[in-house]
Amino acid sequence: MLQAHSLLWQYLWLAPSILLLVLACCLWRKSLQRQYAFFFAFAIASALEQLTLYACDLIPSVTAEMWWKVYWAGLLVEGILKFALIAEIFAQAFDAYASIVKLGTRLIRGVGVILILASAIAAAFAPQDSQFGIVSGAHLLQQTIYLIECGLLLFIFVFSSYFSIQLNRPVFGIAVGLAMSGCVHLATWAVAANSSLPPERRIILDFVNMATYHAVVLIWFYYLLVPGKVTAKSIVSVPEHSLEVWNQELERLLQQ
Amino acid sequence: MTLAIVLVILAVVSLVVILRLAVSRSLQISAGPGPAGQIQPLDVAAFRNLASPDEDTFLRRRLPSAEFRRVRRERLRAMSAYVQVAGRNAAVLVRLGQTALRSDNTITSEAAHQLVDQALLLRRNCAFALIRIHLALALPLVNDAAAPILRGYEQLSGCALLLTRLQNPAAPVRISAN
Repeated sequence: MLQAHSLLWQYLWLAPSILLLVLACCLWRKSLQRQYAFFFAFAIASALEQLTLYACDLIPSVTAEMWWKVYWAGLLVEGILKFALIAEIFAQAFDAYASIVKLGTRLIRGVGVILILASAIAAAFAPQDSQFGIVSGAHLLQQTIYLIECGLLLFIFVFSSYFSIQLNRPVFGIAVGLAMSGCVHLATWAVAANSSLPPERRIILDFVNMATYHAVVLIWFYYLLVPGKVTAKSIVSVPEHSLEVWNQELERLLQQ
Repeated sequence: MTLAIVLVILAVVSLVVILRLAVSRSLQISAGPGPAGQIQPLDVAAFRNLASPDEDTFLRRRLPSAEFRRVRRERLRAMSAYVQVAGRNAAVLVRLGQTALRSDNTITSEAAHQLVDQALLLRRNCAFALIRIHLALALPLVNDAAAPILRGYEQLSGCALLLTRLQNPAAPVRISAN
């Protein structure tokens, strides 16, 4: 069952891409494609990339080298869109809060620079495969993209948590899904890029990646299409009665 | 292979942290707002006294240098405790303000926006002040670490007061002790 071209393998490759296209259509119908422009673009590009790769895998005339070239092209486009999507998540989360947006922007830029350096160092220390450079290069590029992606998303979660900022439901769902996918893929691509696993074991990593991605697409469906519970707009209740004392103290302090 | 192990560990730790934060966020939302009871009253007068550079100058003049350093360390530790409470209060007020942001009443919504902005500013200043206080503990010549916090807390208190009055004119509010 856990073999290349098994029924499960075919399903896990195709289903998330088809579901992503359906999700993109739903976003379009709900007129959300402008609000989540980069997620919309990412969903379409990622789905088309995977469907193209699947077709290339099935067509006998497509050579292995050609398949990896298509894979590289898709990877570059997907990588750029992912970082644009992270910028979109950051903007949606913090742009409304003028008092911390500047600090957040500076910090995320700093974190980005550190992550780029760290991923460059990690890539430099990875073993080089001179025979299949195009394959090992793709693994390294994946490792680099996911390392930066994970770091940036971790920063966004920690920053919003420190300031107790609640991300809105769709943005939260997109961020959680992307982070889950990023962390699992980082681990699997790190193993793929830095160890010489035999093909029968490497296929397990593919299954882990595909299953995670499928779960992530379902998470996106849930958070983007299922409305959240409406919380009651309750009046703030404050337990102790010390308004006069507080007022006196405040006025005294403000006049100093 | 060592690099792979390091990256796998980093990925797992990141995933655990992110999921923990995500779950705690979901729990907060399902529990509803109700954080006003979590606000700890803060003695602004005592805080002002601790943050006052004049007090420091006075103590420096009056006490022998060894005694002054000991007293100053104690004061900085107390200041750190105050700043931590102010930071926690600010976080609670951010959540409270975010709930009020959804209000249909424009005035309440604007007051909530102002409260959230001030609370975020205070939370940010608390982080910086804590760094400075700990630096001052290590290097006794650095001082005046908490002055921005005091100003921020005063402004924040005003915003909280305004928001609570708008939402429920009969309700009392207390975010500092007398």
